[in-house]
Amino acid sequence: MSASGEGPVIGIDLGTTNSAVAAVVEGVPRVIPNRSGQLLTPSVLAVARNGKRLVGQIAKRQAITNAENTVFAAKRLIGRRWGSREVEDARKVLPYPLVAGPEANDVRVRMGDRVWSVPEISALVLGELKADAEAFFGQPVTRAVVTVPAYFNDGQRQATKDAGRIAGLEVMRIINEPTSAALAYGFGRSIEDKVVVFDLGGGTFDVSILDIARSVYDVVAVGGDTYLGGEDFDRRVMDWLVFGFAQEHGGADLRSDTMALQRLKDAAEKAKCELSAVAATSVHLPFLLGGGEGRPALHLERQLRRDKLEELTRDLVARCIAVTKRTLDDAGVRPAQVGEVILVGGMSRMPLVQQAVREFFGREPSRGVHPEEVVALGAAIQAHALAHPEQGASEVLLLDVTPQHLGLMVAGGYFQTVIPRNTTVPTSATHVFTTSHDDQTSVRIAVLQGVSEKAGDNELLGEFVLHGIRPARRGEVAIEVAFEISADGILGVSAKDLVTGQLQSITVTATSGLTEEELRRIMDENVDDLLERKQARGELERRRATAEQLAAEIEALVPAVTTALARSHFGKDAVVKAQAVVQRVHAAIEAGDASQLPALEEQLERTLQLFRGLAGGGGRPA
Amino acid sequence: MPADRYANFVFFPADLAEEVDLPLELKKEILWTQARLGELDHWSLLGVRWNASGDDVRAAYLEKVKVFHPDRHGGRRLGSYRTRIERIFRALTTARDVLSDEARRGEYARRTAPPEQFARLEAQRLEVEARAGERRARLARSNPLVARATRVQELVARGKQALEEGRFAQAANDLLTAAGLDPRHPEARTLAERARRGAGAERARELYEQAMAAEVVGHRAGALAALREAAALDPASPRYAVAASRAALEAGLQDEARTLAEQAVHAAPREARAYEALGAALHASGAPREARRALERALELDPDLGTARALLRKLRWSFLG
Repeated sequence: MSASGEGPVIGIDLGTTNSAVAAVVEGVPRVIPNRSGQLLTPSVLAVARNGKRLVGQIAKRQAITNAENTVFAAKRLIGRRWGSREVEDARKVLPYPLVAGPEANDVRVRMGDRVWSVPEISALVLGELKADAEAFFGQPVTRAVVTVPAYFNDGQRQATKDAGRIAGLEVMRIINEPTSAALAYGFGRSIEDKVVVFDLGGGTFDVSILDIARSVYDVVAVGGDTYLGGEDFDRRVMDWLVFGFAQEHGGADLRSDTMALQRLKDAAEKAKCELSAVAATSVHLPFLLGGGEGRPALHLERQLRRDKLEELTRDLVARCIAVTKRTLDDAGVRPAQVGEVILVGGMSRMPLVQQAVREFFGREPSRGVHPEEVVALGAAIQAHALAHPEQGASEVLLLDVTPQHLGLMVAGGYFQTVIPRNTTVPTSATHVFTTSHDDQTSVRIAVLQGVSEKAGDNELLGEFVLHGIRPARRGEVAIEVAFEISADGILGVSAKDLVTGQLQSITVTATSGLTEEELRRIMDENVDDLLERKQARGELERRRATAEQLAAEIEALVPAVTTALARSHFGKDAVVKAQAVVQRVHAAIEAGDASQLPALEEQLERTLQLFRGLAGGGGRPA
Repeated sequence: MPADRYANFVFFPADLAEEVDLPLELKKEILWTQARLGELDHWSLLGVRWNASGDDVRAAYLEKVKVFHPDRHGGRRLGSYRTRIERIFRALTTARDVLSDEARRGEYARRTAPPEQFARLEAQRLEVEARAGERRARLARSNPLVARATRVQELVARGKQALEEGRFAQAANDLLTAAGLDPRHPEARTLAERARRGAGAERARELYEQAMAAEVVGHRAGALAALREAAALDPASPRYAVAASRAALEAGLQDEARTLAEQAVHAAPREARAYEALGAALHASGAPREARRALERALELDPDLGTARALLRKLRWSFLG
């Protein structure tokens, strides 16, 4: 907290495939380019063969040759439980190995020679973006707002926050991506309207309804589908290609060949993207499948027209619209009452999607924002508003809602909602319930989040036990459970025996899979790492200074030595060699490679000794 | 204004002295608002007049939350004021939620109406109700289906009323008509049955009285006819059957007397007079053994029955002789 109030603040869009960082600079939000000049940084990282950590574009480039040690789409795994459906699905398609955490409750990734927790992986991406921002501002950056999909549960949000801590960032707030997009959309416009954000990304679909007035962004309802995104569209195209290929080649099954499948997947995605701009494209994959037994290899060559793609994916688009309709019903808003529809996410470029949105709302969706940058920009605006509240009423205020029901497990394994979804935070609510056995002296309070009526289908956020209940007949003891969500989205739960006043409470936090202890250890390691790097830099500086001094002395002596040599029986060889050494030193300094310097230093010193002798001898009047 | 507003409010020095990054005026505003959360209604909390429109409520809410939201004070030291602000924010949000929902707003407005408004609203409500009643009546007159339903409803109501007051004949009449008009009416038929039984009992009592009067003047045939009808109308009451049996016997109709007496015994198996009548009828029709058993049963139930005793003695004699 000591750092608060100082330095620039940033907004980070930590995406499944790409991430971006933005900041409000001189009152205007803008995306900060990374050190290679790109606005988007791939959310990919890897450990190279020499043990070096690679992040971003450079990691993505080497992915094909180093698949087992390259991690992407970590966002799918963050805050997930080992053994959950999502993780099992991911294991089937991800090329890198997943393992269970030490408590067997979270997912870890094996990369290079060690096992990483998912927040650590995400922290590397966040750290890279932080470094980009620091290079941009020329000063340390310690505070950020990070975005997550609206449907993310408390555990996933907490894990994202932990990733920020590991990266050395104080995460001021986790905000929802659609909300963030709306913030960016509203920047510099005076909107007094109901706005719908339709966010169809690579893996998920999110829809949010906001009521914007007087710079207050009031989220009315959020909805979405975790299993509806660009990849589902790709799969439809792939299935079509696989089926067609089998028909053409007498039942040859492409699904049996993982290499062919990977090529097919890339081609399907590419074709889908192209069809957003043109009416027809061809998929051309030569030598896709070996013929076997001396027969020639099989090629795939097919035309895909836009109307065919639309036919294949029409039901997916219909599902998006159904979710949108349901969310509008939740909010009590009719499509005609909506003033703006903002399209976010790469999939929203598809003409069929745009057409469906247009038909449902009866209006043209807005094209005023860049679908890939808008989320980071919104995060930057919120970060700026949180860091500079003194700038008055013109600054934005965000009123967000709980995305899912929060509640308790009650007798019979049922879920009792205490705070319903779409409740504006900060908020609080209480629920009174009674004991279910005679002479019950303690009660277990299990705090859950989700939308199912059965407790077991919802996410367990935490649990605790209330002891010291007065023995009585069942149903006679009243226990009041209070839920409280602060503006930071931190959930606190307390339980009180209404008769004895016995009170027990928890702050629901430890769900990211990393214990506080583990988190501290990782952060300490990072500090060590940083110190080491600092020491290394100091060492480098010292050596560089010495080497430069030596080189300068040698260069100064070169003319004298040359004349001396000319008169001696030594060849010019020595001067050429000495100059080569000096050159190497300069190159090493340029590259910042400290490991080469000690060896070079020795050569320099010996050369200098020699030169001094020669120059001295040569210089002496004979 | 603010000076007046806080006039009767005592600030705790410790609260005001707490070291936070908030101006004194705002600290006072927060403390004052928080202390009054329990007593303010949603309108005054948001600072709008009673029954303000949904748009006004929303606008007021937006202005208020710009002050009473923790995010508006990010990066500042808030201390205990953070919880205070959050509490006020929650109250504001609840107020907004209630007042911007048309249905909840109307209900809340009625509950919190100032007295003169309440009176006006009440008058309005009654007027609306009266008008609705009138409309219903008009509709009933013009539409045959509605008219029938209304007629059935009226008949059932009137029938119930009569039933309660003991005017069974009237009740039975109304309810049977109603059941006829609407065979699926849930109550009409059962109520009609009850009324019919009630009416039968009433008529039987009348006939009985007529019969007694007829007997007194010696009009035996008339008495027998009346009693016969009474016994048929109210078979559950043994009194009429017993009397009818006696009258029939006197008229020399032993078989009918026996049937009527049996009906009485059947209706009231613990009624001594029913057995007495049965005994007399059986005796007259020449079945002394059965007659004796019936008379013995009668005396068992009521030893004071003189006629039964006399008859039994006679029977015993005849048996011996």
